[in-house]
Amino acid sequence: MQARSEEELVEELKREHSDLLVEAVVHRSKRVSIVAKREKLLELARLLRDKYSFTHPVSAGAIDYIKEGKMQMIYYLMNPESRFMLMLRVDLPRDNPKMPSMTQIWEAMSFHEREAWEMFGIDFEGHPNLTHLLLPPDWRGGYPLRKDFKGEGIAP
Amino acid sequence: MTEPEIKPEVMRISWGPQHPMSGQTRILIDVDGEIVRRIIADIGFTHRGIEKILENRTFIQGIVPIERMVMADTANIALGYVQAVEEALGIEVPERAKWIRSLICEMGRINSHLYAFGLQVECTGYFPAVFLWTTVDREVLLDLFEKLTGARWSYSFFIPGGVRADLPEGFRDEVKRAVKYLRRRFQDYWDAMVENPLFEMRNRGVGVLSREDAIRLGATGPVLRGSGVDMDVRRDEPYAAYGDLDFKVITEREGDCLARLKVRFHEIEQSLNIMEQIADEIPGGPVRTKVSLFPRSKPGVEALSRVETARGELGVHIFTDGGMKPYRVKINSPTLRNMYVFERLAELDRVLVADLPVILYSIDPWYLDCDR
Repeated sequence: MQARSEEELVEELKREHSDLLVEAVVHRSKRVSIVAKREKLLELARLLRDKYSFTHPVSAGAIDYIKEGKMQMIYYLMNPESRFMLMLRVDLPRDNPKMPSMTQIWEAMSFHEREAWEMFGIDFEGHPNLTHLLLPPDWRGGYPLRKDFKGEGIAP
Repeated sequence: MTEPEIKPEVMRISWGPQHPMSGQTRILIDVDGEIVRRIIADIGFTHRGIEKILENRTFIQGIVPIERMVMADTANIALGYVQAVEEALGIEVPERAKWIRSLICEMGRINSHLYAFGLQVECTGYFPAVFLWTTVDREVLLDLFEKLTGARWSYSFFIPGGVRADLPEGFRDEVKRAVKYLRRRFQDYWDAMVENPLFEMRNRGVGVLSREDAIRLGATGPVLRGSGVDMDVRRDEPYAAYGDLDFKVITEREGDCLARLKVRFHEIEQSLNIMEQIADEIPGGPVRTKVSLFPRSKPGVEALSRVETARGELGVHIFTDGGMKPYRVKINSPTLRNMYVFERLAELDRVLVADLPVILYSIDPWYLDCDR
């Protein structure tokens, strides 16, 4: 089967699975962005992997929108046939950033989620090994990539 | 990292970060006799917080810290960032500048692959002759870099809007001379090492990664292509001058250490072809559009730029908020992805302790890139 193009994927998702997403847009050629509903994220992720063959995990990272009081977790995914970048996003409240771990769907998100956990304080439910990746194991300095991080009291 | 529990039937060995061959990382190995049961990569020893540093630099100042990610391959890394800035700020690049960028990127790729080749050979026990040869041959490229950019390493040559300077007089002939010299040398390497039965014995069938696993575990670059997956950003999403250049994407089917080495080797040949093409066909014109030194962004713009570095795909995702600095820069580093593959290899294939250095250096790790 011919792999779906960016527009075809967005159209089909909007038509058949509008209950799972907040929005789906084509940013430009080779860039598709999907914002998932938090409670439907696992279902959508499974659908993307199994039905739409987004089997190649690229990376994941978060961004802190301090003024809006939210954080956004972004998963970068790829289909080895169509080879455009799919960004699967989910908005999280800043005071309680909790979401299911995508390692259940894409095992290789493990490192990236550990990084987001220590840098942003996002809690991934169901992650097999949520420990420090880049920071020292006894780190007590807060979450470095959050916008309100001051870095006080880290240096001895 | 907090150390996971040790199962009673295995012994845990801590390799690095002070070991000469481990690089700036620590690798925990659970061994059962000679067989490695589990690999745990304890990365983070060179974490400098480049993503945070970039939030506190203007768009142009950011070029310098991001280049420190991979010193052997600074051109490709800097290009990823500069292209993202250009897309976010809407800056056009002249045609000639794109060709010069491709030229330097390919030179950087050869430089980096040579280093990787030398290290992998060194890991198999051919210390130190081949590593010294490759180091000497890199001089040819470093001299070209020096002539063109004024620096041998970390040249900060790419800026939003083009490149800092045009090619100096006679540079195209020098590129061709260097290509001719390197081609001859690579034939020597191929005959001496890749076709050497002893070297082959240590690399063939070692650390095998199947096609499905390479895709599923998110491998990238030569590791992915060494397992037979035909993906290369240069062709899939042409940037700089790659849309106009003629080159092949190299894949090997075996997925072992030798396949990854061969991918790098053939990629060097392709890069030499590209260098020659550029020296012959580079178009004329300006090399830089005028851009303010402190460009201001529009609020709420984001740009994700992807480039194929020597180690694989680098993604730089910039978010702006209308200021003179990026709001957030997310770097998708290639080595971090390949390190995860390395961690899993002990479960996918029978790995012996003696083969571990070869496997590690066949993924061509660069820890500064891994930790950022």
